[in-house]
Amino acid sequence: MPPRRDNDKFIQEDSDSDISIDDGVDVVKNVKGKGKATDAQRKRDKGKSKTKDTQAYTWEASYTRSWESVQEDEAGSLQSSVDDWMARGRRRRLLAPSTAIRRTIIRHLVLLLDLSSSMMDRDMRPTRFDLMLQYAREFIAEWFDQNPLGQIGVVGMRAGIGERIGEMSGNPQEVLKSIADRHKLEPTGEPSLQNSIEMARSSMSHLPTHSSREIVIIFGSLTTCDPGNIHETLDSCVRAKIRISVVALAAEMKICRDLCEKTGGQFGVALNEGHFRDLLFELVPPPAQQALTRPAGGAATGTRAANPSADLMMMGFPTRLPDTSPPSLCVCHSEIKSEGFLCPRCLAKVCDVPTDCDICGLMIVSSPHLARSYHHLFPVKAYEAVLSEDQIPPDAPKTCHACARPFLTAPTATHGGDGLSPLGRYRCPNCQNDFCSECDIFVHDVVHCCPGCGK
Amino acid sequence: MDDENGSHLSVVIDLSPAQWHSSAQPPPDNPYPLPLSIFLAQLLTFLNAHIASKHENTLAVFGAFPGKSVMLYSSTDPPPQTQVIDANSYPPFKLVDSTIVTRVMEEFDEQAEITDEAPNSLVSALAKALCYVNRVTLPTTTTSSKQAEGRDPTILPDPRILVLSVSPDLSTSYIPIMNAIFSAQKLKVTIDVCQVYGPESVFLQQAAHLTGGSYIFLERRDALLQYLIMSFLSPPSIRKILSVPTQDKIDFRAACFCHKNIVDIGFVCSVCLSIFCQPVPVCSTCRTKFPMKTLQRLNAARPMLPASTASPSRAASSAPQARPSTTPATPKTNGSSAAPPGGLPHSGTIGNGTARTASANESGV
Repeated sequence: MPPRRDNDKFIQEDSDSDISIDDGVDVVKNVKGKGKATDAQRKRDKGKSKTKDTQAYTWEASYTRSWESVQEDEAGSLQSSVDDWMARGRRRRLLAPSTAIRRTIIRHLVLLLDLSSSMMDRDMRPTRFDLMLQYAREFIAEWFDQNPLGQIGVVGMRAGIGERIGEMSGNPQEVLKSIADRHKLEPTGEPSLQNSIEMARSSMSHLPTHSSREIVIIFGSLTTCDPGNIHETLDSCVRAKIRISVVALAAEMKICRDLCEKTGGQFGVALNEGHFRDLLFELVPPPAQQALTRPAGGAATGTRAANPSADLMMMGFPTRLPDTSPPSLCVCHSEIKSEGFLCPRCLAKVCDVPTDCDICGLMIVSSPHLARSYHHLFPVKAYEAVLSEDQIPPDAPKTCHACARPFLTAPTATHGGDGLSPLGRYRCPNCQNDFCSECDIFVHDVVHCCPGCGK
Repeated sequence: MDDENGSHLSVVIDLSPAQWHSSAQPPPDNPYPLPLSIFLAQLLTFLNAHIASKHENTLAVFGAFPGKSVMLYSSTDPPPQTQVIDANSYPPFKLVDSTIVTRVMEEFDEQAEITDEAPNSLVSALAKALCYVNRVTLPTTTTSSKQAEGRDPTILPDPRILVLSVSPDLSTSYIPIMNAIFSAQKLKVTIDVCQVYGPESVFLQQAAHLTGGSYIFLERRDALLQYLIMSFLSPPSIRKILSVPTQDKIDFRAACFCHKNIVDIGFVCSVCLSIFCQPVPVCSTCRTKFPMKTLQRLNAARPMLPASTASPSRAASSAPQARPSTTPATPKTNGSSAAPPGGLPHSGTIGNGTARTASANESGV
């Protein structure tokens, strides 16, 4: 029962948190290096399986002698130790190597929810079903925050058929509304992977090649009841370049792993509530684009000479109607409304952007939506930890440059290592200002703009 | 809970010496002159009013100088009280007033020594204000001393940021300012904007719109204090009842990177999101080559485009058709905004603003 194994091909790309545009050289390097890395990964996997033999469960390994890592401070409190661990974890995430990769900015995703009777199992509190709904809501909110140009549709698996719960939409409120009513989603019967994947696939079949097509399956049962051969469905998904990821709540199923491995998705079995959430949220950041994007060496691969994932997209920038304009019917809901956006091509009125125009199919976005994705392209440089007091000039300010929180005056023993500064100072390589660890995290995770240099 | 606790206000003041100098020019060119001294006096009154309206209210003031941003005052780390207590003033007000004025003067003295004009650092001041809001709204994990003081910093409802800007939009700051706006959205911080002097700021308009704040273009600069108190003193929770002016007119169109035309329908590179007004074979920003098939398809679809790419005129002509009665219905706050100081027509302002936006993108790239 391995907690999760990444698809080898994607392990490098998916592990890092930031992004930059690749140029040809980097990609070629990346591809070359991949062979080695894959070997290393395999070795590591082997190592893992050995340790697994000696232990009953893999997850137990992470809990050996955990009490030793916690130490009391002078006052006998554990707080500082806990804080230290938290800071370490966050810092580690920031320092994850950021290789030059390209990510898909425009994503289309179908969330496949298992609504079979096995979801009423109580091994996750309160029930798998309630937990799934709760996490799905959080997932959708977070997903739209990071992928402003993306769209999500929701399909349920219930009583042997696929059931369309929410249409593909770019509006988080709309998607959330579709899964808001838990009574409409009451689990019954057997799930059918094939039926629901077919439904998801057909709803994405019209999409252009530059946008990603993804299916995320939350699967709680151990069976699937399909009308035909599911491997044919799988093959058609591979052909349509749909990436399927599965978060299983019960146990690993061969077909689920095959779905993920053949389409380049991620597969994971949730151990507990927290792990379920982690697995799901790993799917939030934009995936690295499949390795076919090789602007420099692309000619060598004859079959995919034209770079299919880079494309020009036609987009419309709408006119916003103010709240005081005369009410008219919108094309998306047929409701009378004053506010709205006018499609620049057919002048139809839609309620919200980004969306595809219901009349002419033009992709309608507003310029802030485009701007929202720019931080993926121009990330803030990682701050360097100040390791000793010698690095601090005598006239340096005593407070954080951003939030004016006072710095530690003397280095603490518990801090240090793992790229953590014993003085709690992190310095911007550009403007040479010092920041506290809170601001370091905040600037890189949220603001994406250094308060010192304003870039 | 809202009644129990104070609200937090961060004020970002644009202190660009050149702009303030031109703001103080006498009437012929400048109908309502507003020198910095009067501005500061009115602002301090407003800040005092904020502190006075509830004992728990907190305040932070940031100054954006050319090439440098400074925290001028914050109520969590008050400066030591050095002045002799004046019998005629209320000590907390006096403390705020004197601290801010001395810090501003200090910084201006420092600025006088620097000769080369650096771009104004409004963005970095805004980022600092956000970091500060993050600090006061989140429970502090690293300093347990804060909790020992018995003050719980977690419960500060609706923090807000007031930007008092006098400078025109800076094209290079487009991306950082958008990032700041999105993080403010995430923190649920309201950004209010008061453009005290200079042309309308498209970026700050969007900041106010996206965070649910109000944007006010100051027409009568001599009435600054009244504007401040009427529109910005009340916390966002109360504003629903007071119906504080909001804006209707925000331009969401973009300008292409190649000719700086404002486009209704653009062609966007899927890799770097650069905007072009016509299909191009290679992206000028990230040098991605686009497949021939797409170019042919898009070129085939073009015949109907010339009408829409010649957009300013078309948009102007089509908009009134689409919403015939908007023009009389929209005056609200922005009667002023339709005719900015330069006397440019409406579409002209939009053009300027978004063209800058695009050049920002390009230079940033």
